[in-house]
Amino acid sequence: MPSVFTVASKEFSDIIKSKRFLILVTIFVLLVIVAQGTVYVSVSSSTQRALPRGFLGSIAYSLVTIMSYFAPIVGLALGFDVISGEREKGTLKIVLAQPIYRDMVFNGKFIAAFLSVSLAVLVSSVVNVGIAIVALGISPPPEDVVRLIIFMIFSILFAMTYYAISAFLSTATRRSSQSIIVGVILWAVFVFIIPVIASLVASALVPVSFTPQNITRSNATTFRPPEMQQYTSQMAARAQISSLINSFTPNYHFTSIAHYVLGVYAGAGTIAGGRIPTAPSSSASTSLVMNLFSAWPNILVLTTLTIVLFIASYTLFIRQEIR
Amino acid sequence: MEYAIEVFDLTKVYRSEGKEIKAVDHLNLKVEKGSIFGLLGPNGAGKTTFIMMLTGLTLPTSGSGKVLGYDIIKESLQIRRKVGLLPEGFGFYDHLTAEENLNYVAALNDIPKEERRKRVEDVLASVGLLEVKDRKFGGFSRGMKQKLGIAQALLKNPELLLLDEPTAGVDPEGARAIRELVLKLNREGKTIVLSTHLLFEVGPICDSIAIMNYGRLVLQGKVKDLLERLMAEEGYRIKIEGIGEVGAFAEELSRIAGVRSVRLEGKAVHVVAEKDIRVEIGKLSAKHNIEIVTLELQQPSLEDLFIKYYKKEGLSYA
Repeated sequence: MPSVFTVASKEFSDIIKSKRFLILVTIFVLLVIVAQGTVYVSVSSSTQRALPRGFLGSIAYSLVTIMSYFAPIVGLALGFDVISGEREKGTLKIVLAQPIYRDMVFNGKFIAAFLSVSLAVLVSSVVNVGIAIVALGISPPPEDVVRLIIFMIFSILFAMTYYAISAFLSTATRRSSQSIIVGVILWAVFVFIIPVIASLVASALVPVSFTPQNITRSNATTFRPPEMQQYTSQMAARAQISSLINSFTPNYHFTSIAHYVLGVYAGAGTIAGGRIPTAPSSSASTSLVMNLFSAWPNILVLTTLTIVLFIASYTLFIRQEIR
Repeated sequence: MEYAIEVFDLTKVYRSEGKEIKAVDHLNLKVEKGSIFGLLGPNGAGKTTFIMMLTGLTLPTSGSGKVLGYDIIKESLQIRRKVGLLPEGFGFYDHLTAEENLNYVAALNDIPKEERRKRVEDVLASVGLLEVKDRKFGGFSRGMKQKLGIAQALLKNPELLLLDEPTAGVDPEGARAIRELVLKLNREGKTIVLSTHLLFEVGPICDSIAIMNYGRLVLQGKVKDLLERLMAEEGYRIKIEGIGEVGAFAEELSRIAGVRSVRLEGKAVHVVAEKDIRVEIGKLSAKHNIEIVTLELQQPSLEDLFIKYYKKEGLSYA
């Protein structure tokens, strides 16, 4: 009986030799170079040439931003035709006409996708960190290296979540074109639509009557602590509502995990569909274990979502009639 | 009698948009070992569904069956080990060469690595594709693709070959090559089931046939027996072409015992009789001083058989 690795090795070889994969990795590397170039220019232009947020703090923003776009695209690109493409080309009939169980085909493809995604994330992260080391002229301390490795693992999980979404669509729909369209729409909903809706709903549910624009040093006489407190609590309530709505997107959970793992990331509120949850701005100062403990609900959601989608696609594929 | 395939009351119902479609309807069928069996019928007759059920790629709604002694529901894996299937509308990986595609199929069949190369080359040679083994599948013609499909079915050295529409879309020369290949494989002892809507392409090489329509079996039997039966039912058709006054000759022909009808068509006389009356025709032509140019017993063809049974069923054959 041939093993699942017969399918996996053929699929892995197909993926890494495909133009699609090479183009994606190339584009990503170029983006990384541009992003790190920006960091380099920013550091060079500063008078003290210091890295107040350390190595990780300097590269985290670009790393998380790029990965939050790159990982879903890799996942979608690898999964959208995983079953429907084989069905359209008629190769599924030839493969299933052989003395193998169907789960071997599905599992083999999933393993191949996992290896390819891992390779893509590894290459991109190594390039990113490598350029940062060269550009910033410092080596990351051991803890930063560990944090970067853990971030890579969760980036792979994030990409696999999108792969699972894409593979499910590919199994459920008859055509790859339908699968990719629905996949891209879902991605756009997660990245752009839900954050906007979350913001609008939060604004509508918690109207803010006071704006702190008039709180300035020169206008200290207008400073009114009770209003300020009310404003703070209103904004917190808004953030809570917004987070609740955004938590329906995988992107939110990924950015949350990234925030906890990379810790020092102190970028602006929204990255690829998720407002960063309220967390200490310098998580790096807390232990990595504590950070992971804080991130466990997000890790659990991403992992569960990936597993559930995998099981759903698997079950659907096993039951499908070949006609 | 040993059978490669036996199915009993095999039924497959598809549910689509709230409707039930009986793709195969209580099919009872037997295929003798070592024969070439033609499964004929128009598109949508249920032939492909039937073949898919034989190999476990589609599960029957009811009924049972055995292929090479294995149960089609419980032992489909064993069936796929011993049965080579050329599915309709199959494909290979365009970016891989013929050899690479077959290597992958060989790996899926658990053929040891050290044997693969030889086995792949052997089957490529047997279908006449050895010289193009390094060419990518995407660049193959339709005929070459079909041959490669047959090659993958042969990799496991099967006892039974199920070829679904093997000549569809193939040019006449390619179709002839496939027919010759089928005959050669049959001579090597393989049982072959040819499923097709192109009666003329494969009909003549079949030992037995079954005609399907709307999932039901319209007719089944040995080609020879079926044609004889048709001849007995429809009458012996004799065509006579001669030089001389055929009018009176034709009139007297109609009075011969057993003659059902006589029809004049220019210089040709068409006779339908209950038996072969060519000897009587010869004698009568001598009497009327007619020089016979053609005296031909027109054998009914598979097409006649096909059309007759379709008409009988009130069905149309497109």
